[in-house]
Amino acid sequence: MRLDRLVPLVILAALGAPGRAAAQVLPERPLTLANGQVSVSGEVTASIGPRSDPGFFDYTDYEHNALRMLRLSLSGRWRPSARLAVLAEVRTENLERPTPYALFVRVRPWKAKAFDIQAGRIPAVFGTFSRHAYGADNALIGYPLAYQYLTSLRADAIPRTADDLLIMRGRGWHDTFPLGSIAATTGQPVISAYRWDTGVEARVEKGPIEAAAALTTGTLSNPRVGDDNAGRQLSARVAWRPFVGAIVGVSAAHGEWLAGNIKNRLSMALQDRSYPQTAYGLDAEYSRGYFLARGEVIASRWTLPPLDAPQIDAPLSAMASYVEARYRLTPRFFVSGRADHLGFSDLTGHLSNNLPTPWDYPVSRVEAGGGIYLQRNLVMRAVVQRNWRDGGRVREATFVSGQVSYWF
Amino acid sequence: MMRLRAWSRTFGLLAPLAAIAALGWPAAARPFVAATIRGRVDVPAGSTATNGRPDVAALSMSMHDTVDRRRCVVYLDPAPRPAFDPGDEPHARMDQRNEGFVPHVLPIVVGSWVDFPNDDRTYHNVFSLSKTRPFNLGRYAAGRSKSVRFDRPGIVRVFCDIHSHMSAFIIVFAHRYFSVTDDEGRYHLGNVPPGTYNVAVWNEAHASQNRRVTVPDGGGDVEADFTLR
Repeated sequence: MRLDRLVPLVILAALGAPGRAAAQVLPERPLTLANGQVSVSGEVTASIGPRSDPGFFDYTDYEHNALRMLRLSLSGRWRPSARLAVLAEVRTENLERPTPYALFVRVRPWKAKAFDIQAGRIPAVFGTFSRHAYGADNALIGYPLAYQYLTSLRADAIPRTADDLLIMRGRGWHDTFPLGSIAATTGQPVISAYRWDTGVEARVEKGPIEAAAALTTGTLSNPRVGDDNAGRQLSARVAWRPFVGAIVGVSAAHGEWLAGNIKNRLSMALQDRSYPQTAYGLDAEYSRGYFLARGEVIASRWTLPPLDAPQIDAPLSAMASYVEARYRLTPRFFVSGRADHLGFSDLTGHLSNNLPTPWDYPVSRVEAGGGIYLQRNLVMRAVVQRNWRDGGRVREATFVSGQVSYWF
Repeated sequence: MMRLRAWSRTFGLLAPLAAIAALGWPAAARPFVAATIRGRVDVPAGSTATNGRPDVAALSMSMHDTVDRRRCVVYLDPAPRPAFDPGDEPHARMDQRNEGFVPHVLPIVVGSWVDFPNDDRTYHNVFSLSKTRPFNLGRYAAGRSKSVRFDRPGIVRVFCDIHSHMSAFIIVFAHRYFSVTDDEGRYHLGNVPPGTYNVAVWNEAHASQNRRVTVPDGGGDVEADFTLR
């Protein structure tokens, strides 16, 4: 069945639920086996939105539209003891081949100490959004630009000159560069919320302070299962709870981002250099009563090899920031909104008449909407999203999207 | 003024007597020898269940996501008439402690207030979407409490909007003949007038059971055991 028929059917099925909602007609607990040692839960998120997005504002690194997607996921946990668990999640988007999103072991060495180690394909420690990007936890339908918008940068193909990059501004959905892979494909977001990295992480909590650090194979922009550059990323976040309801966190990440096949094609002098993605983040959350607000500021920098003139002789930077809020009007109804911006550092090339110009077009986004809990684990929402971009084929676009999310 | 007060006192005493004389003694007021229905409910092993979803996005081990589902509520259905007499507005309590609701099952009588104190160091957001009594208490910090009055009989599922593994049941009865089983599965329903009743057992994880029980005119103890499947 075609997706554009299937998603409305899922939404219609959910619309039939309100009358029965109070009776909690759909299962709401995970399935448990082996006396509770094994638990399995699932989530269905069906979003119906614009049939076309010619500006590719909402395309993800899986080349799908975040506002028009059917996502099915199945999560499992095997917990043979109180201090050991194996967790996994498999998901499919738009009924395509299921992919393992997470697969890791979690260990708590000392039962009485809030110290945990995770190894495998693990959740990101940097920032906050990656860990609540699930349909139910996301305040809206779209994602923050930092976690979704495809910049023109790629890890497997790079520009030789500043002009090679400038000509690809606004083309993150489908770009090519002269060095590296010749296939045209998507660029990368500042941080990918659609894939998790592989490695090991540790987390400790003491009083109002929580700290987590991870050593992984890929980078924030390009999380990976297998290593492609013999480099490692070190990322960390420290969060402080000054009082109940408030969290302030700072994050940092540093790791080799350029694919090994590109590095091998550089001159010996350039091969000896390091080409990292370095990012810093500041996040905050405040909640009280029926109100919840979150925000993040993320600064990321990618270092590229300086090749031909006009050279890219300084790291390329991007600065992303967003603030979002949700208010529960009644037990069932809520409203939410997000304001978002992604900007880029300047680069000079012939295409910009030798004037400093952003290496990709800055983007802004406002998204607002509301939703209803048909039952505790069945949510319907609708949003309006407005996008602005300083250049490119499409500079402005407004989308309306609806979503049904069910989980157990 | 003094005369008015004296008249009022006299009328205050006489009026109920006159009403009783006119309507006759209500059947509920007839004296009886009370009995106790007691027994035990056996719940299958393995009723301590994982309540939370696999927390794949978390960075730490959840130590509070199991819940004891062995508690049962035993009640008369229907109940004898005196049980429906209006009384005061009792307060019950459901704590938010160690990321769980304590007690997990709370039976109350219609008109009761339930206090929801937050005993944890983190926020909780207690809410229910049940038809019986929808409510949302919002987020409030440790040491604070909010209360909800339950005016209709029924089952109220209670959740926390922040911690998905937290859930509880409030069972609102129109009468006072109900009891929660203890750690051993025992229960007792006291002060039951003579008659034949349907004793029902409710458990969140198992099908309900019913039994006909007769309380003799002479009162005493009546045993009724149940085994849930």
